[in-house]
Amino acid sequence: MNMSIPAGRNQVSESTIDTRETSEETILDFETFHTKSHFWGRLTIWSVITLTLMVPLYLSFVLGFHPGWSAILSGFAAYASIIAIVWVVEPISYYPVLGVSGTYLAFLTGNIGNMCLPCASVAQSVVGAEPGTKKGEITSTLAMAAASFVNIMIILFVILGGSYLLSLLPASITDSFRFVLPAIFGGVIAQFAIQKPSWGAIGIAFGLFVNIGPIPRAFQTFLCVLGTIVVCMLLQKMKEQKDKA
Amino acid sequence: MENVMELANSTGLWIFALLVAGIVVFQAITFIRLATKTSASVGMTPDEVRAAIRTGAISSLGPSLAIVFVVISFMTLIGDPISLMRIGIIGSAAIETVGASLGSEAAGAGLGSENFTGQAFTNAVWVMCLGGIGWMLFVALFTKSLGKIQHKAAAKNKNVNALKAVSTAAMIGAFSYLGGREMVKGFSESIVLVAAFIVMPIIMWISHKLNWAWLREWSLGLVIIVGIAVGYFIS
Repeated sequence: MNMSIPAGRNQVSESTIDTRETSEETILDFETFHTKSHFWGRLTIWSVITLTLMVPLYLSFVLGFHPGWSAILSGFAAYASIIAIVWVVEPISYYPVLGVSGTYLAFLTGNIGNMCLPCASVAQSVVGAEPGTKKGEITSTLAMAAASFVNIMIILFVILGGSYLLSLLPASITDSFRFVLPAIFGGVIAQFAIQKPSWGAIGIAFGLFVNIGPIPRAFQTFLCVLGTIVVCMLLQKMKEQKDKA
Repeated sequence: MENVMELANSTGLWIFALLVAGIVVFQAITFIRLATKTSASVGMTPDEVRAAIRTGAISSLGPSLAIVFVVISFMTLIGDPISLMRIGIIGSAAIETVGASLGSEAAGAGLGSENFTGQAFTNAVWVMCLGGIGWMLFVALFTKSLGKIQHKAAAKNKNVNALKAVSTAAMIGAFSYLGGREMVKGFSESIVLVAAFIVMPIIMWISHKLNWAWLREWSLGLVIIVGIAVGYFIS
């Protein structure tokens, strides 16, 4: 990843220009960054949508394994009845954290909760940028893009031949890899709880409540994120009023 | 079953899968370039840019390694190229497994069972692909309007602070939900989560005390190793 790094705002930029770049290389302002993110984000996502539609069409009509529209529809209806609401709820719930560019990145590469968000928040804490700020969004974009790149490379490498190496590992160790997720979540929750202990407690309470309580699976993410936001904001308001008094 | 695997690993599917992987790579590089060019105008130094990229890359190693095992188990069910496509983009493994099994069952055969046919495989691919398009369609169509709402709110300084607070609360909510889902899976998972919850602040404290910035970049990886070790010994 040999990226050219633009110099400070007022500096003449020619000294830092990479040989690959012409003099068009300039510093983008944040507005332009969003405009360009929309363009490239949409272009890449529409391309993948087209390709993912072509794959089953190719199997059905070029190779001749068409299972019949009723089988497709009944399978899809069963799936959609569980998942459909998540299509809308997840992008909305994650948007305040991911920002414009992060939304395009995270929803193409996937693994939002277990990879993109942790990478973004660790990078923000390394650089010292707060979530929701411009610097925070640029930082999380850089981190998530790098994560997406590394992730697809590892998956490619594994699928193209490294998989048998892993199958040599003893089962007792591969079994333990199911503990990766709880480790990530525990660690990242702790990172926030250091900064805002009361908010951490509220989040954990909601997290346990929606998972244990009688909440339909499809609403759990939404309810937990929304509930945590609402209660934390109320708490902050009460604190501010107390400070004034 | 064997003929199905020949179909599932056929050249045509490989071409599609590699194209999809190519777009993911292209998108990642494009966004790194865009964000790098923008970094100076939001007050980021080139060092901070490099640190952000490095942290993202390092922190993704742990999660990627975890995904590797999902990919391997998926490969045996649905073939190599479709695994690359489905795990390489959008889906979480759990949801893809749901899609694949609902799809093949709607065509009258269990996923990976003896009577798993070319038609059942095709139906599984249909359901996974159509299902995954849901997210992408919403994001492609509506991210721009979500951005406008945020832009309006950010116009006032007071709103910026509120937005920051909401973002932090949203992050806590999302992780708590995901953490809670792990905890209800079992006692061992809960212990591992609590151990990670305790170890992370210790790592941060050491890094702060000794002024080791690099330790923060490895914090997630170290927490994962501790988590796996704890899980290994208690289960």
